[in-house]
Amino acid sequence: MPDYDERQLSFKLVYYGPAQSGKTTNLLRLHDLLSPQLKGEIMTMETQDDRTLFFDLLPLGFRAPSGLLIKFRLFTVPGQVAHDGTRKAVLSRSDGVVFVADSDRSQETNNGESFQGLAENCQRVGIDFERLPLVVQFNKCDLPSAVPEAEIRERWSAVPWPLVFAVALRGAGVEATFETLLRAVYRRHAESLELAGKHGLTEAAFVAGALGRP
Amino acid sequence: MSEPGFDREWQLADLLDAASLDRLGSGLADLLGGATAIVDGQGKVLWGVAPPQARQEPLVVELEPIGFVASADAGPAALAGAARLLTAVLRAQIRYKMASTLHLEAVAEDFETLKRNHARLAESEHRYKQLSAELEKRVKSQVAQLEERQQMLYQAEKLASVGQLAAGMAHEINNPLGFLRSNLSTFQTYLEAVAKLGGRLGEGEAAWQDLDLPFIVEDGRDLLAESLKGIDRIARIVSDLKSFSNVDRASEEFTDVNSCLQHVAGVMAGQLPAGVELRLDLLPVPGMVCLPGHLNQVFFSLIQNGIQAVRDSGRSGEVRVSSAAGDDGITIRIHDNGVGMASEQLDRAFEPFYTTRSVGAGAGLGLATARNIVLAHSGRIGLESTPDVGTTVTLFFPTPK
Repeated sequence: MPDYDERQLSFKLVYYGPAQSGKTTNLLRLHDLLSPQLKGEIMTMETQDDRTLFFDLLPLGFRAPSGLLIKFRLFTVPGQVAHDGTRKAVLSRSDGVVFVADSDRSQETNNGESFQGLAENCQRVGIDFERLPLVVQFNKCDLPSAVPEAEIRERWSAVPWPLVFAVALRGAGVEATFETLLRAVYRRHAESLELAGKHGLTEAAFVAGALGRP
Repeated sequence: MSEPGFDREWQLADLLDAASLDRLGSGLADLLGGATAIVDGQGKVLWGVAPPQARQEPLVVELEPIGFVASADAGPAALAGAARLLTAVLRAQIRYKMASTLHLEAVAEDFETLKRNHARLAESEHRYKQLSAELEKRVKSQVAQLEERQQMLYQAEKLASVGQLAAGMAHEINNPLGFLRSNLSTFQTYLEAVAKLGGRLGEGEAAWQDLDLPFIVEDGRDLLAESLKGIDRIARIVSDLKSFSNVDRASEEFTDVNSCLQHVAGVMAGQLPAGVELRLDLLPVPGMVCLPGHLNQVFFSLIQNGIQAVRDSGRSGEVRVSSAAGDDGITIRIHDNGVGMASEQLDRAFEPFYTTRSVGAGAGLGLATARNIVLAHSGRIGLESTPDVGTTVTLFFPTPK
């Protein structure tokens, strides 16, 4: 459940995925692309050879018509297999997840193992994976060695999660991914948090506020 | 989670303890001049004295101010600079706090994972131990069962040979018994005639002739002589049988193997089928310490095999048993000119339970048992055979050194 008090409502959103699939790049581009009322600096924790050791954090926020401050704290997990404990700790208490997969054909096994890890870790930290708002992003889909979109869609046709194709380095699909997650998060929590009734937030207003669109 | 996580909303008081506040506050106060205060997000003064109508600059780390720096006398630019300075310190501090808290959570998670894995390993180890104990038990019981069955089969083989022997013996003893009985009953009627003579002694010579006593006396002599021979034959058979039946007396004796061979041949002589001859070519051999009963069993089953091989060939033939002594030991050959064996049969001949005979005719243990007995006497057993020509079994018992 998101952190909720009189003053503010805080959503923890996590970018999960195999090593070097582009999780941090997603955050960096979002920081450049989005202009909500409130936007903090990206806090990048220690890195080693440009690879995340702990996490990155991008805070975003806006005020609802009711005056409630809606906050989004976007985290990335370290993708390397060895940091599973850290991944689990970052994942705990999250309200939504973007799974950033690497479209390169050679990365299919890593994607599969990482996704399996996500499902297992969710269960370990007490997140109901079935009901978790989740978006699957296939990043680097411009690579010559990328699995074609049609093939990926065919393979993932049976799963309930929305797929987004992206080239995070160029910023393509990054905002669409985030928007898709925002909508899933809104639908999951709008009723219990009385977002529409009490705070005057429709889904469109929720998304527009977070993205900083008029 | 009882402990607040690394991703909590960090408050000013979480980030700066009293000593840090004091150091930072006094530094700022010196820079700004006059009354200076550090205030948290809820307006509570954490350090210094907040002067009334003081100017405040927010300290923003993420989105919202988590505190303020307040001064009555400092200019706006100086106060803003002080706030930027303090914010930089807070950002460094929050990075440190988040990283260390996350590190602790990760370590705890890793530890939990280790504990889970350990529990799983311990459980599977336990399962494997149980399984292996059970397997061991089952193997043991099956080995015991196999041993018991094998024992039973050996016993059955022994009984079968004893049975064959007994049948032969019965036949051989029955023959003399038959004519003994007939002789004795004839002799009974002869005695009747002698008894009648007793009443007619007055008639003299005439009665003697009339009662046919000259013939009776002559024939009576023959009958008794033949009966005595028959009794001797039975006595010899019984004596051979006695020495043969040493099988179950497992005591070692110093024996001449030639005499063993003669006993066995004697026992078997009476049961040779038509067209099979048994010949002994025995040269003097030194005595050896052995289990005669067991050796008799070996010789019996090897000679029996030879006889069977000749019979199977459908021709008349012979089984020749020869013995000879060399410097290093005694060699015994049992040769037959019967059917012989193909090389495939020869290869498997010593395997227990290998038999070419129909079910019930033998357990296939004759040669296997023979080999075990020969090996127990530190000897060797060899087999040569050519199909349709014959088979030679060679036994060798080394002279003890």
